[in-house]
Amino acid sequence: MIARKKKTTIFTAVFLCLVLLLGVAGCGPKESADTEDGKTVIKIGTVGPLSGTAAAYGTNVLRGIEVAVDEANASGELGDYVLKIVSEDTEGDWSKAANAFQKLVDIDKVNVIIGAVLSSETAAGGDIIKDAKVPTISPSSTAVDLTKGNPYLFRNCLSDEVQAIQLAEYAVKELGLSKFAILYTNNDYGKSLKDAFEAKANELAEVVAVEVFMDGDENFKSQLTSIKEKNPDSLYIAGYYTEAGKIAQQAKELGMNVQLLGADGLCNVVLLQIGGEAVEGAYATSGFYPDDPTPAVQNFVNAYKEKYNEDPDMFAAQAYDATRIVIEAIKSKGPSSEEIREGIAATKDFPGITGKTSIDEEGDTIKDVIILKVENGKFIRAR
Amino acid sequence: MFVQQLMNGLILGSTYALIALGYTMVYGIIELINFAHGEIYMFGAFVGLILVTVLKVPFFLAFLLAMAASALLGITIEYLAYRPLRRSSRLAALISAIGASIFLSNLALLIMGSTPYNFPTPFEAKVYETPFFIISRVEILVLLSSLLLMIALTLIVQKTKIGKAMRAVAQDKDTASLMGININKIVTITFAIGSALGGAAGVMVGIYFRTVTPTMGLMPGLKGFVAAVVGGIGNIPGAMLGGILLGIAEVLGAAYISSQYRDAVAFALLILVLLLKPSGLLGKPVQEKV
Repeated sequence: MIARKKKTTIFTAVFLCLVLLLGVAGCGPKESADTEDGKTVIKIGTVGPLSGTAAAYGTNVLRGIEVAVDEANASGELGDYVLKIVSEDTEGDWSKAANAFQKLVDIDKVNVIIGAVLSSETAAGGDIIKDAKVPTISPSSTAVDLTKGNPYLFRNCLSDEVQAIQLAEYAVKELGLSKFAILYTNNDYGKSLKDAFEAKANELAEVVAVEVFMDGDENFKSQLTSIKEKNPDSLYIAGYYTEAGKIAQQAKELGMNVQLLGADGLCNVVLLQIGGEAVEGAYATSGFYPDDPTPAVQNFVNAYKEKYNEDPDMFAAQAYDATRIVIEAIKSKGPSSEEIREGIAATKDFPGITGKTSIDEEGDTIKDVIILKVENGKFIRAR
Repeated sequence: MFVQQLMNGLILGSTYALIALGYTMVYGIIELINFAHGEIYMFGAFVGLILVTVLKVPFFLAFLLAMAASALLGITIEYLAYRPLRRSSRLAALISAIGASIFLSNLALLIMGSTPYNFPTPFEAKVYETPFFIISRVEILVLLSSLLLMIALTLIVQKTKIGKAMRAVAQDKDTASLMGININKIVTITFAIGSALGGAAGVMVGIYFRTVTPTMGLMPGLKGFVAAVVGGIGNIPGAMLGGILLGIAEVLGAAYISSQYRDAVAFALLILVLLLKPSGLLGKPVQEKV
């Protein structure tokens, strides 16, 4: 037993030496001043799950980054610089994510990192990129306080709470609503939307009724009858499109006259099919809406479809925006890690395809969430 | 508000009652819980949907054709999954029923996919207001057609020769066959009628809730079963009563207790009734035949 342990220790020591040697060797001749076709290469590292159960998120994030990088390289907007992606797979495992971050900063010597995808992965890389002074922007990690106290860590994403809060503000200030009812689905998504919306709406106006339903329910008449009793002027549906369509129908059948409100769970054409007339005029927040007719969104959607033959999702769109923020930073400040960091930190009112975005002093996102409205049986952009 | 909730419960309950009838009739004849009944209900909804949207058949004709197709499916299931097991233990037939249910819902998932289909409403959504409650045209249709179907069923069972034969088979299979009744024929007819009612409920729920999915049969199937047991399984008026009671209990429970527990209320009712009256509200005490 003891002999074996010793063997393992020796092996580990030798292995570590080798790794160190490799690391040093990698440092020597390979300065960051790579060139390609006479242009100086700016390396963008990416970290995320490209295999394993969370692979769909990581893959879509990488694709969003690739679309933005291809576009920037093709347009020549960076002048003498060319962007190059170095991507690392985490398999959705935070310890592999830490290794990936380490490799990107030590061996590949990237200028900037876009990632990681899962909150646990980004948290694992936080100290590594802080020590190495490599700016990093996550396109999707929503964990609370993730970027706090780390001047090199940023993010560009949208939490459920922010959607609910901004819709409550919009409903009171822009739509003039004052008596809210909430109907939420009994899962994490519905509950966090409901909690945030209820708190904000109660602060600005009044919530008169809160009712709950289960995923897959079909009959909402008893909840709606209870809600109707309280005479609200609007109904916030914290749930998904299938149930929301039925809720809208049944509310109409009960003769309720309420302004329908919702979150990104409603933004699907199925809502329009099931809801029909009853969802006309409804407002919903959206992280990203691929049918948004805005030219910037359509350019992205078309480029993405052409390359990957499928519709981009919110992850791809946020990754695209994160990459655009990095590109803008390079254009305004310069290509070194420190210059990119300054540029990202100074981001203000960036017109992203996922909404107008600023970065606050903690490195967190301030986003004007996109608000869609149903008009003539179609989603249109209301904000 | 209370009257409105009562109406909501009545409408929901009438669809449960229609499903419960299918369970209870089959049980009455061959003492089998036909767990594939929820899938027959789903099948009826899909047939109705396809007839209306793809083949543009007028709604009421589609409704009748969906009932006929469901009847055919019921007969097929009985012929393939239950008849070969008629002489084996009841457990074997029960397992076969569960298998048929899983097979059918997965087949539907395979063919139709998991996204819900929208059932177009056959007529404009009109709402009628009374001093006590509001009712929509679709709801009136659901209530009226359930009522008509239940009356028709009662007439068939009580007044026709076939109904008499069904009752005889339910009472005592062997004696009935000695009296010259073709048991297989009666079982087939029972499955046909029960399944037609299930298919009718499927179409009605389809237009009522506007959506049809391959998994839509699971919960209503269970609720229909609960309704049948509450009313006294094997007893036809019991199934109607059980369905209506269950619908009302569920809606009132959701309104006055908590909407999270609406399904719990349904199953609590089942336990309560079984504790107080094990044979169900209208069921007769069971006497094991010696």
